[in-house]
Amino acid sequence: MIRLLGAILVAVTMSVGVATSTFAADKEKKVVLQISDGSTETQTLVLNVANNLQQAYGVDNVKIEVVAFSAGLRLLFKDNENGNRIAALAQNGVRFSACENTVKGMTKILGHPPEINKQAVSVPAGIVRIAELTEQGYLLVRP
Amino acid sequence: MNAIKRTLLAMACASAMGATVNTAQAANWLMLQGTEPGGTAARANVWGFVQVNYQADTSEPNSTGGYIPPKLLGPDLNTQQGFNVNRARIGVRGTPIPLDDKVNYFILLEGGNNGITQIDGSSVKFTDASVTLNHIPGARLRAGLFKYPGAEEGLQAIHTFDYVNFTEVSNQLLLERFPNRVHPGAGTNPAPCDPQNTPACNLNRFDGPVGAFRDVGVQLFDAFTFGNFELSYAAMAGNGNGLNFSDNNNKLDTYLYLSGEWLTGGGQGPWREGLKFFVWSQNGERQFDGNADGVYESYDRKRAGLGMKFLKKPWRFTAEYMTGEGMIWNGPDKPTWALVAAGDINPAHASNGLLAEGVGYYAEGGIYIPNTNFQVDLRYDYYSRLDGSQFQLDWKAWTLGLQYHFNKKTRATFNYAMRDVNAPNFGTGAGPNANLDGIGDRYSLQLTTIF
Repeated sequence: MIRLLGAILVAVTMSVGVATSTFAADKEKKVVLQISDGSTETQTLVLNVANNLQQAYGVDNVKIEVVAFSAGLRLLFKDNENGNRIAALAQNGVRFSACENTVKGMTKILGHPPEINKQAVSVPAGIVRIAELTEQGYLLVRP
Repeated sequence: MNAIKRTLLAMACASAMGATVNTAQAANWLMLQGTEPGGTAARANVWGFVQVNYQADTSEPNSTGGYIPPKLLGPDLNTQQGFNVNRARIGVRGTPIPLDDKVNYFILLEGGNNGITQIDGSSVKFTDASVTLNHIPGARLRAGLFKYPGAEEGLQAIHTFDYVNFTEVSNQLLLERFPNRVHPGAGTNPAPCDPQNTPACNLNRFDGPVGAFRDVGVQLFDAFTFGNFELSYAAMAGNGNGLNFSDNNNKLDTYLYLSGEWLTGGGQGPWREGLKFFVWSQNGERQFDGNADGVYESYDRKRAGLGMKFLKKPWRFTAEYMTGEGMIWNGPDKPTWALVAAGDINPAHASNGLLAEGVGYYAEGGIYIPNTNFQVDLRYDYYSRLDGSQFQLDWKAWTLGLQYHFNKKTRATFNYAMRDVNAPNFGTGAGPNANLDGIGDRYSLQLTTIF
């Protein structure tokens, strides 16, 4: 089983290498990561993907934006346990966008606005932001 | 473009699988048990664990063929070997509204066969039912039934405990028993499980389960991080009545706890690596008819301790020192807290635990053998019961442990405990030693799985 997993990882690594060389020909790599559910696993996955994209291409060679809406906005709550990771990614250029519509909806439920991570940038609507980014050539990925 | 997208997706997924998870969930027991991780907690996270064991006690009977409780296996005390579903717990924890991390809850049910369920004949019992409010920075509030702040061995999550049985100092000095408060009869030895010619014991002298290191009350607590150093505190007031939901003596127990830990950066959750020092105290009163006059008296129950814990894989080490004044437990065969008949109705008698003292310590360590699934553990524990009195009993044990981790959630634990118990103020075969002589080694094999 371990050997099988090892073989799979090697194969995937090779494919990553191919992808890297393919994209190396492009001038600009742009990825938008959508998060719209609040599970721990998805939050971790989104941050891992952002981190690994930067590792694969270099922080100066890839533009990444994480757009959070619906329950996915929990990732950008002020007291989210991933706060340190978000800060580190933001420092490396990853943009985090918080859906204003979602904030308004949560405000109705909570009776007060949720406290949002200061690293996040407010956008009117998360899904609209994603549409705009894809029109600009961003690749939409929903881990 | 589609091919590129597919490749990129594959890369992202593969990379995510191999990446290091770096959660920042606080790792001390106060925070792990009392709070949920911010921004990620579910409305209802179902979890639990099962522990099944086989134990064998090699103790010899006394000169008349009788067995005392330390020579029998708990909680039933009617055999020297056998299987037992020691713990079977299932619980739910989370945040009622996932958008509001400031409110957390924790519920846990025990269905195994141990001092929690055996004593009052219940099949399932709540061990935890609490709500935490995180609204005030620096002063989180937890209310309900939960583990009180105290010794590491009691406060830690039991499914992460590296041994099958507690040390004697934790088991006897800290794990509180609640025998009937009415004196069963003056001038007689009321022991329900005195040395038996066949292993057997009647435990109906208890009207409540063991305390399980828990109490019902309210606790203020929090943890503060300064660089690589974390300072934690807890202050609690509780009923002092163990797992029972309500108070029984119109007096509250108080608990204080302070810890400081240097974080070395590795591990997470219960296995966060660091060097921790802690100090704690507990104070309360218990009601008991100690002189058999039909009237309850109040007796102090004071406990205090300090210790340290180190974890930096592959090594770990723990040491604790604990003291106690009043309500010194003398074993399940002496629910009136007296060791001999002469002390039954005299709380000040040298054999009576109501006003006595106890002291003990343990040191243990282990190594996760690199590149294997094995872990080796070694522990020495000492407890002086009725410390300083004529009837002082010294409990000493070396425990050798070997664990095999099938995966991160399932492991087998083998323990070999070499035990030595004696009354130092009496010769061989005299006084308490007449029954203590012959206490032998104990083998334990336990399977633990967490879900």
